[in-house]
Amino acid sequence: KTAAVVLRNLQKVVPLRRARLRRDVDTLRHILGVQKFDLGIICVDNRRIQQINKTYRKVNTPTDVLSFPFHEELRPGKLPCPLHRDELNLGDIFLGVEYLMKQCQDNSMDLHSTLTVVTAHGICHLLGYRHETEEEWDEMFQRESYILGEYNRLTGQNLEPLTKKCSQDS
Amino acid sequence: MLKSLCRAVGTAVRISTITTSTSRALPLSTTTLCTPSSATSRPFTRSLWMMNNKGASSGYRPKLFSSRVLSPSVSCGCGALHTEGDKAFGDFLSDEIKEERKIQKSKTLPKMSGGWELESNGAEVKLSRSVSGEKIIVTFNVNNSIPPNFEEEAETGQQQQKGEEEQDIVSTPNFVVEVTKQEAAKTSLVFDCHFPEDEIAHGEGEEESDIFAIREVSFQPEGDADWKETSYTLSTDSLDWALYDHLMDFLADRGVDNTFADELMELSTAMEHQEYIKFLEDLGSFVKCK
Repeated sequence: KTAAVVLRNLQKVVPLRRARLRRDVDTLRHILGVQKFDLGIICVDNRRIQQINKTYRKVNTPTDVLSFPFHEELRPGKLPCPLHRDELNLGDIFLGVEYLMKQCQDNSMDLHSTLTVVTAHGICHLLGYRHETEEEWDEMFQRESYILGEYNRLTGQNLEPLTKKCSQDS
Repeated sequence: MLKSLCRAVGTAVRISTITTSTSRALPLSTTTLCTPSSATSRPFTRSLWMMNNKGASSGYRPKLFSSRVLSPSVSCGCGALHTEGDKAFGDFLSDEIKEERKIQKSKTLPKMSGGWELESNGAEVKLSRSVSGEKIIVTFNVNNSIPPNFEEEAETGQQQQKGEEEQDIVSTPNFVVEVTKQEAAKTSLVFDCHFPEDEIAHGEGEEESDIFAIREVSFQPEGDADWKETSYTLSTDSLDWALYDHLMDFLADRGVDNTFADELMELSTAMEHQEYIKFLEDLGSFVKCK
């Protein structure tokens, strides 16, 4: 069985192009060399992501992305060393697509490009990166810059990393 | 919880049917929690059928069913059998129909956005629309469209606390999407779709299914009611994920997306309810021999 991106669209607010999203996520996996790991991408509306945010972070507001690593306590940049097939899993990323759609509309940005940027951010969290301190944030920002630089090189786009500082989404 | 409640209430209904007209099946409080289409869904009130599963084997027979079967108390001259039981049954049905009408939110069916034309024939429903030279037809049947395991879908703590309140009935029929291109007439690309059952069931953090999913895809003769088994049928069970996503995008471009699926659920729930009430009315007429 080959590793897969499990893509779920649980919302009806934002029309999504599933094939495009999968292709972009596959490109990111390729850049990071994590193709052998499973990865869940779950697209949800404001109500749902607010619920998850409240449950797991005690923050009762919608947000852009929430990551749930399969392997916790990873050192940033070190890939997991799974012992079993079942552990070939990075975890799940919940994309707040309604929240992101609003941001894109406010800033005249393309939704699917933004989804790529936010997913890159989410995958970094799954690989142990954090941004609770200035140092952590620098380290994560550099990694995201590298990933999106490679992405831009491969696809001819011009994406930039998320720039928000020191607010932990995990 | 629901099962035991149904049993208890079911028994109460059986005993009280003759004397009272307030023997409504279950509380009619509405809960909208975790139901994707609360607009037209309705509370579960059909203990009439549920009690047959659970209570009938107890050996208890109320007098209603055992006494004076051979001496009808009412006669309308039609030559058919009329018992006191039939009369009580008719009264019960009248009450049940009244209650069902009360919770029926609207006499008119919910509208499907996107310019779909609606045709129905009893339990069968057909939605159709044309998009620049293509014809898209969606068909479904409201029979057997209510998942049998809804009582097991214990939800959040909040829902459990509600205790005696019941979950809404939501109709989630399988549906078939038929896409016909003008130049390729006589052959349609046919998608067999369904609502995965765990869609409403799980809390966040667990793996959840899409709102609707494609089960099979094949080419079929246009408008042919019978599924041609000689046509190759693509099963999505072991399909390349990317191909699956393209198929979903293909449907979305033709107006079959999550919004459509959600509206279809609402429509089917409303139509199922209409048919249910109509059935109760027919049953009432049949029993009373009107």
